Amino acid sequence: MREEVISKLVNTVTSYDVEGAIKAAEDALTAGVDPVDAIEEGLAKGIRIVGDKFGAREVFLPELMVAVEAMRQAMAILEPAMTEKTKTKKKSLGKVMIGTVQGDIHDIGKSIVSAMLTVAGFDVIDLGSDVPAEKFVEKAKEFQPDVIGMSALMTTSMLKMGPIIEALRREGLRKVVIVGGAPTSKDWAEKIGADGYGGDAMEAVEITKRLVGPAE
Amino acid sequence: MTILDGKKKEVDRLPAFNSVGTYTVDGMKAFDSSWPAAHRDPAKMAKLGSALHRLARLEAAVVPFDLTVEAEVLGAPVEFFEDKIKWPTVKRFIAEKPSDLKFPKELSSAGRIPVITEAIKILKKEFDGKMPVIAYLCCPFESISSYLVDSIEFLKKCKSEPETIHEFMKTATPYFAEIANTFKDAGADIITFREEAVSLNNIHPRYFDELVKPYLEDLIDRVRPPRILHACGQLWSPALEMVSRLVECGAEALAIEESTPMDKAREIADRVKSTYPLAGNVNAYRIIHQGPPEKIAERVKEVIVQGSDMPMPGCDFWLETPTKHVKAFVDGVREHGCLGRGG
Repeated sequence: MREEVISKLVNTVTSYDVEGAIKAAEDALTAGVDPVDAIEEGLAKGIRIVGDKFGAREVFLPELMVAVEAMRQAMAILEPAMTEKTKTKKKSLGKVMIGTVQGDIHDIGKSIVSAMLTVAGFDVIDLGSDVPAEKFVEKAKEFQPDVIGMSALMTTSMLKMGPIIEALRREGLRKVVIVGGAPTSKDWAEKIGADGYGGDAMEAVEITKRLVGPAE
Repeated sequence: MTILDGKKKEVDRLPAFNSVGTYTVDGMKAFDSSWPAAHRDPAKMAKLGSALHRLARLEAAVVPFDLTVEAEVLGAPVEFFEDKIKWPTVKRFIAEKPSDLKFPKELSSAGRIPVITEAIKILKKEFDGKMPVIAYLCCPFESISSYLVDSIEFLKKCKSEPETIHEFMKTATPYFAEIANTFKDAGADIITFREEAVSLNNIHPRYFDELVKPYLEDLIDRVRPPRILHACGQLWSPALEMVSRLVECGAEALAIEESTPMDKAREIADRVKSTYPLAGNVNAYRIIHQGPPEKIAERVKEVIVQGSDMPMPGCDFWLETPTKHVKAFVDGVREHGCLGRGG
């Protein structure tokens, strides 16, 4: 029964079946499967398969987004069932807080990075778009993320990244900061004191993994 | 225009223009036509659309200046950011299903359509016969997926509810053609169809074939030539390509940006339609905005050698591009533009 439920969790994610994943998560709880195992061996395994296919250009954004949606919806059912004890068992590469510095409601690039980080095994807190410096600082204090990611779509908003990093440092939040977005570059990231730069979603995930270090 | 007629051999030199955005902050300052006013005032729109011609001898005037025009007509509220030079954007996504879209009966008075048609008339009066007046259209797939429906939800629906996407496209396509023809009727010489959401960065070509291509062909077919199709992002990878599909859509030329190598695009386009005009793909940010001028001219030469028939920026000029860099681009085309393939 356990194996059957777990493989159903894997398969619903890899077949982009949101309803199926919700049902599988409910079945897992009914069958008494440890929610952490259901996430680790089921959903996370499924999403890694989809992530690899995305990296290999076998599947594209529509599939990736539906798979992440399936995983998130199923997680929403499994997570409340986790006890304090089992929570610590759950593996995570780290906590990442991510936001678009100042732009418009178009945060598709950031949303893709957010999805890819989830796929890679990070816990992602997404602040959305048009995020002012104060909010980055305030939320960083609240969530204590390991990594803060910032995206900018315009040169004018890109100029705000430096002051945000300074504000974070001033508050003693010496978190690892990565930047990305159309006008940014590796040189720019270094100049404003960021710890890393991601040219695209895959690169952002790689650099985040590298910066968070051997904690995995 | 001669190149778009398929008669490249008859031109003395390749044109130095851009078929998408030609507005810069320098242009706004020089002609008192800053955003957001220039989005809503026909005289200012005409001034800004032709500013780079006056400042740097660019050989076309282009309007409008953003991609929310069509979405606004269909009911999306637009934020213009008063007193700031910022790209307009929609305040919220208004549609979840095709029936949420509104198609005003009086198109000529809807949204910013009257501003744009009036600006086209002003430009046509001044530049008729001297240089083309270009109007661009944000095509349905991009307009709906970026400005009318939540983008991530729309992408998901491509996978989970393709019939809904078909319905969106089927409903919107004739209306978008009518918008383009309204610009033509006002005097636009060329329509640029911006379909910038279909690259390999976003979707697999099979989605393009099923959900976009038939409608894009229909849209282009409904509008009088000459027409340029502009696509963004990566259109070629060792395993997949979109170039041939876009060439097949029926426009007189295809404009690409730097994520697609020009020589690869040339090779593929020639296979579909020999000597099909290609435009692009000088990086608007890293080359033209950042310079220096020598590098811009060098890159212009390079894209011509690689097979670009209309060397132009891959996208809109970056807003803060210094005018001397636009001049360097124009001079580069003037200098190297007689080099075309086969001399």
